[in-house]
Amino acid sequence: MPLVPDWFRPVAEYMLREGLPETLRIAAIALVASVAIGLTLGTLMTIRFFPLRWLIRFYVEVWRGLPILVTVLFIYWLPAYDIGSFHLQLNAYQSAALGLSLWGSAQVAEATRGAVQSIPKEQHEAAAALGFGWIGRHRFVILPQATRRLLPPMVGLLVNIIQNTTIAFVIGVNEFLQAGTRQFENVTSGLTGQVAPSYAPFMIFGFVMLGFFVICFPLTRLAAYLEKRLVV
Amino acid sequence: MFDRSVHILASFEWSVIWDNRGLFWDGFKHTIKAGALGFVLAYVVGLVLGAVRAHRIPVLNQVAVTYVELIRNTPILVQIIFLYYGLPVLGVHLETFTVAWLSITIWGGAFMTENFRAGFEAVPPRLREAGYALGFTPLKAFLNVTLPIGGRIALPSTINTAISVVKNTSLLLIIGYPELTYVANSIQSNTFRVFEAFSALAVCYLTIVWALSALIRFLEARLALPEAL
Amino acid sequence: MKRIVVLTIVFGLVVTAAVAATFGTAAPSRGVAQATLPAKPKLPPLPAAVKARGKWQIGVKCDTPPFGWQDTSGRNRGYDVEVARQFARWAFGSASKVDFTCVTTASRIGTLTSGRVDIIISTLTWTADREKVIDFSVPYYNAAGRLLVKNDVTVGKLATWMPGKKLVSTSGSIYDRWIKNCFKNTSFQVVSSPAAGVLAVKNDQADAMMYDDAFLVGVAANDSSLKLASNVFLKVPWGVGIRKGETDMKRWVDASVRGMRARDMFWSILKRTIPRRFWKGFKVNAPSPKIKLQYPRASPPENNCPS
Repeated sequence: MPLVPDWFRPVAEYMLREGLPETLRIAAIALVASVAIGLTLGTLMTIRFFPLRWLIRFYVEVWRGLPILVTVLFIYWLPAYDIGSFHLQLNAYQSAALGLSLWGSAQVAEATRGAVQSIPKEQHEAAAALGFGWIGRHRFVILPQATRRLLPPMVGLLVNIIQNTTIAFVIGVNEFLQAGTRQFENVTSGLTGQVAPSYAPFMIFGFVMLGFFVICFPLTRLAAYLEKRLVV
Repeated sequence: MFDRSVHILASFEWSVIWDNRGLFWDGFKHTIKAGALGFVLAYVVGLVLGAVRAHRIPVLNQVAVTYVELIRNTPILVQIIFLYYGLPVLGVHLETFTVAWLSITIWGGAFMTENFRAGFEAVPPRLREAGYALGFTPLKAFLNVTLPIGGRIALPSTINTAISVVKNTSLLLIIGYPELTYVANSIQSNTFRVFEAFSALAVCYLTIVWALSALIRFLEARLALPEAL
Repeated sequence: MKRIVVLTIVFGLVVTAAVAATFGTAAPSRGVAQATLPAKPKLPPLPAAVKARGKWQIGVKCDTPPFGWQDTSGRNRGYDVEVARQFARWAFGSASKVDFTCVTTASRIGTLTSGRVDIIISTLTWTADREKVIDFSVPYYNAAGRLLVKNDVTVGKLATWMPGKKLVSTSGSIYDRWIKNCFKNTSFQVVSSPAAGVLAVKNDQADAMMYDDAFLVGVAANDSSLKLASNVFLKVPWGVGIRKGETDMKRWVDASVRGMRARDMFWSILKRTIPRRFWKGFKVNAPSPKIKLQYPRASPPENNCPS
């Protein structure tokens, strides 16, 4: 990297080595959990059984309605749950992953419900005519079509999840933004042997933005492309 | 000491919420101040830039595209921090409240721009042409045809973005803006009553968000466009 | 007569030896003092939970050089961190037997009381209020509060200068409480880290930053546009934070701190973590055989408002 100032190289390396993998780890866990839970709940929401519908609807409205930061802070600061010798206390990383998953699964559930309900009734009737039960119908006919429609919003959700991992910064997880902030603090105090010019905050936080942009921009383009292909 | 968790579930202390109601109210006011300002200004930005995008106005369109892509592909928390710590390097010194509403406006404006653009582009061209046939100038056509109809089409997505703007005020605690989440967190760290502080916080946010969602459903019904469009 | 003289001399020697043993040697040089002490003091038993785990879980600062920070290779460094590593050496034989959790001024007590760490060594100033919630070990560092201002600012007496000014400090710090207690007409804003406070002063978002001397001295030395006001206040030592009621933990930590003090280890740690040009000024802040620190229990400082 030719244009990188001397003071910035170790800073950037620290951020990329320590912070970025943490961001991607949290995002991966949250994505997998959100999709798994969300698809299940979303499909269940289409069953004409009102208590179940309302329960899932409540779950969705709560986790979508609360700011993710509030959810994460709540989970992190809850006192440890102890029964006998079983001690449950989530660390910062786990709290962030769980909070993101709750929100993400609510988003996926809502999107799945919409996608499943957008499948024309004729598909259900045709599948039933062919002898499929409820589960078989959904597994072989409805869900494959619904998930195809879900693909663009799912890519969009991935972008959102990656960006929302920065919320973990507030509870001290050493993800990409936190790594940058730590370096900014070291450099500003002047007591760590690192010297940096006064425009250091601009460069450090600019680098954080650049990092996220480089990851998210291609994904956003991908989502737009999938959307166009789907409409055909 | 670890039986605390079971104790807490059984002993919800309303007094924690009641004693701190002044703090909660101050936090609520701060949330509303920044949130309302961001809400309204994001709409304005989105409307203007959405029109620019939809009509492909030469230079401004490129600027709008860059703005939108930059903001949509970076986390809002980083944008807030960048505005707060990075701008002063360029000589721009803003006080906390300014960074608060400005950061969420910039973020919301980008999403609103896309929402409005989609709405304006969804207006059937024949309606605009009808406007021209009636002697409208492009500006008049926009104000009398595209805006009312496109705005209504964009209503669900724009109000969703607006609700997100209000929810994102919670992130302003990192710059020391004393909104609701900041208040609840400081109460929790002083009294150790996490459940009470955060349940109150959750109720506040859900009230705001659900009320705004109910508003969108009401407006959608009221301003529904005739089917034949 | 001769017998009385001999007995007096022997008696005097015994008394001197007893006194020397009790109060430590004052006159001899450091080297001699260390040579008479074993490398590791006799410590009470390690608390069971820590022993079972085989390593410490200690909360330290990661944003406050030179006490707790992370270098570009990701290693925790600083005065507090060195103290933690010494605990690990004496408990388990190796400085690596400790896991660090980063805490901030605002989150450190919550992190301790919620059981996430065994103890916190995180620039924790003693206050009577905090002692209601957690226990403090014997002091391990002495700090005072200072004001960081821009070069063109003159402060004078605190009581006359403070009203109407805008101050920053970290959330939950002793300065936070003191300003809210004593300077009701001063507008106070919290920042999330000490560096953020420095920036606030540099960018004219605040008139002054109130914080610990060691940190601010370093900042002022490195930045020619900032200086420290001459006012010194809230001179109170720091202690290791321990959960209330964990007497075995307190006994172990106290014994270790005393052991480190007797072996002048705090001065060595200070030299390892603070730049050389500040050694002279801060030598008095580290406990040593000559310097004993005590908490101002008789008159808690956060209640003393300057007139």
